[in-house]
Amino acid sequence: MVRIAKRPLAACVVALGLAFTTGAGAQTSCEIKIGALGPMSGPAAQWGLAMLGAAELAAAEANARGGLQVGNQRCTVSVLSYDTRYTAEGAAAGVNNLASQGVRFIIGPVGSPEVTGAKPVVTRHRLLMFANSYAKNAIGPQWPLVFHLGPGPSEWAAPIVRIAQQQFGMRSVAVVAPNDQGGTDIATVNAEVYRRHGITATEEYYQRGTTNFAPIVTRLLASRPDAVDTASSPPGDAGLIVRQLRQAGFTGPIGRLGGPGTDEIIRVAGGIDVLRNFYWYEVVPTEDPRVRAISDEYRRLLNKEPPENTNMWLWVVGARMTLRAIERAGTATDTQRVAAALRELPVEDPNVGRGSWTGQSFFGINQELSLPFGMGMIVDGRNLGVRRIEVSPQ
Amino acid sequence: MHEFLTAGIIGISLGAQYALLALGFTLIFGILGVINFAHGGFYALGGYVAYAAVSQFGLPFPLAVLAAVIVTAALGALYERFLIERLVDDHLATMMLTLGLYLVISTGLLAVFGPQSPEFSFPVKGTLRAGTLYLPLENLVVLAVCAAAIGGLWLLIYRTDFGRALRALADDRKVAMTQGMRPGLLFPLAFGLATGLAGLTGALVTPILALSPSAGDPVLVTSFLTVILGGLGSIAGAVVAAIIVGFVEAYASVYLGGSAGALILFVTVLVILLARPTGLFGREIRGA
Repeated sequence: MVRIAKRPLAACVVALGLAFTTGAGAQTSCEIKIGALGPMSGPAAQWGLAMLGAAELAAAEANARGGLQVGNQRCTVSVLSYDTRYTAEGAAAGVNNLASQGVRFIIGPVGSPEVTGAKPVVTRHRLLMFANSYAKNAIGPQWPLVFHLGPGPSEWAAPIVRIAQQQFGMRSVAVVAPNDQGGTDIATVNAEVYRRHGITATEEYYQRGTTNFAPIVTRLLASRPDAVDTASSPPGDAGLIVRQLRQAGFTGPIGRLGGPGTDEIIRVAGGIDVLRNFYWYEVVPTEDPRVRAISDEYRRLLNKEPPENTNMWLWVVGARMTLRAIERAGTATDTQRVAAALRELPVEDPNVGRGSWTGQSFFGINQELSLPFGMGMIVDGRNLGVRRIEVSPQ
Repeated sequence: MHEFLTAGIIGISLGAQYALLALGFTLIFGILGVINFAHGGFYALGGYVAYAAVSQFGLPFPLAVLAAVIVTAALGALYERFLIERLVDDHLATMMLTLGLYLVISTGLLAVFGPQSPEFSFPVKGTLRAGTLYLPLENLVVLAVCAAAIGGLWLLIYRTDFGRALRALADDRKVAMTQGMRPGLLFPLAFGLATGLAGLTGALVTPILALSPSAGDPVLVTSFLTVILGGLGSIAGAVVAAIIVGFVEAYASVYLGGSAGALILFVTVLVILLARPTGLFGREIRGA
């Protein structure tokens, strides 16, 4: 008897509870898992860790505001990471791994081989991916859920080459890069831009994983170039190439029209005096106080030092926009609706500034963020800083 | 012409470094019958121990190198004594044990030192120049130390009772044991000697190349390639093969480029192995 009497009472309690928690206008909580996919170890680790730091910062910012408002749900944001080791197979495995953990949105990866490996898998899982690489086919109409963070050298190499030419007066350059897609897709474009400026350009490729560049340096110098461009060689490789070039007696300027990593290049090369004359591309104007404030925000919210690589400041823009698009779309599961919302978002970041969506002419799809970037220069061992270069809205 | 001579100098430098790495690798296989997949890990560990000794404890570089040798040798000896020794005749188990150790070392280095290359430079600066030819002094020092270490190892293995005991165990363990050789004591010492050589190479070479937790990845590949070419277990074979690998890599990269250079190296090894499947100095069946 007693048992029978308890059942209607329990049912009433449950029903009342449900009514309060799921009634019209009430909010439920949820968790959105963002995947951070990129190299976390090896020579390209700097780039992957910068990307991871940006995803963590964007998530922390959202959580500090009480989470994302997604429909009638208030969602906290968490970040899951996967180390691709800068390989296509690592990236493909990483997408599967993240998808199996409920991730629907991926920030990364950073390199061309990874993007090539990840694209078919994110398409199969219908995940939204905000990637950054200089691959000639980084995005395209066949991958509508893949967005691209920073334009390749076809967009920014020309002004840098022009300024470097004025400063250093070089008439020939040797471009050196790894022999996979991560190297060739940028080195060929760099070489073409140099040629358009009347500079003779040769290309030299090496096997990724090379540990001693002395033979490559000997070969490079055989063509007696005025300058050497390390293009998209990982910062660790580039630093060693610089050191061995100087040991071989090369005194000309060294360029880097590729992913940034100046601090590590200086460290591995043996100091700024060894580097001596250097010009490089920065993905954002790194000396803008508003840009640098991103690192202060990182320290405040995450209570640790931000990643060293300046790529983090660009990745933050992509991560923030992805979260804004989720809020605007009102869904954390329907990636097609989030992608549609993302395409409609104005490109304006409180720290990095105003930019535009580009990519239609180069990739056939307008899903590439174009933002102000920077050019750094070291002349006679003195760091002249990074100048801001604006992009024209399209 | 100067490219030809420069490539020759580079080839000698590369060959000496590869020889030092391959000697440790082949020593472990020759005596214990174990393929040490953690060899690259000991190389990276040696580099980081030397780096920490210099940057955090302020030791002079020669003492830092000595510290690297002691730490890597001790770790290798202990690992052999307490783990590998128990399963020394089970090839699959020792493969997994050494592979696991490599993952532990590289992940541990990543956790402690981070993924970025630290500033770790060789204390001897400057470059010898003769016309367009050049030889960095740091390479010369490394070459001299490598030559001394190879000579010392040869004397140890072929001119001391300890070396005779190791060779006896490698030839026929059962007979050697009946003669009083104790594998429980000698195997850890041999393993420690080999890992100490890897640590020595790491401490010497990473300051002139680059130091990172994954620095051991290519080392394992190169050591394997060299030792297979020379004949697994053969000390003379490892040295000769290392010099061949160094020269082929240098000349092919200089004259054919970095991509073709790597291809030529593997094709050369393939052709030699087709002619001599046991390697240049290998035997049909390992003794132990």
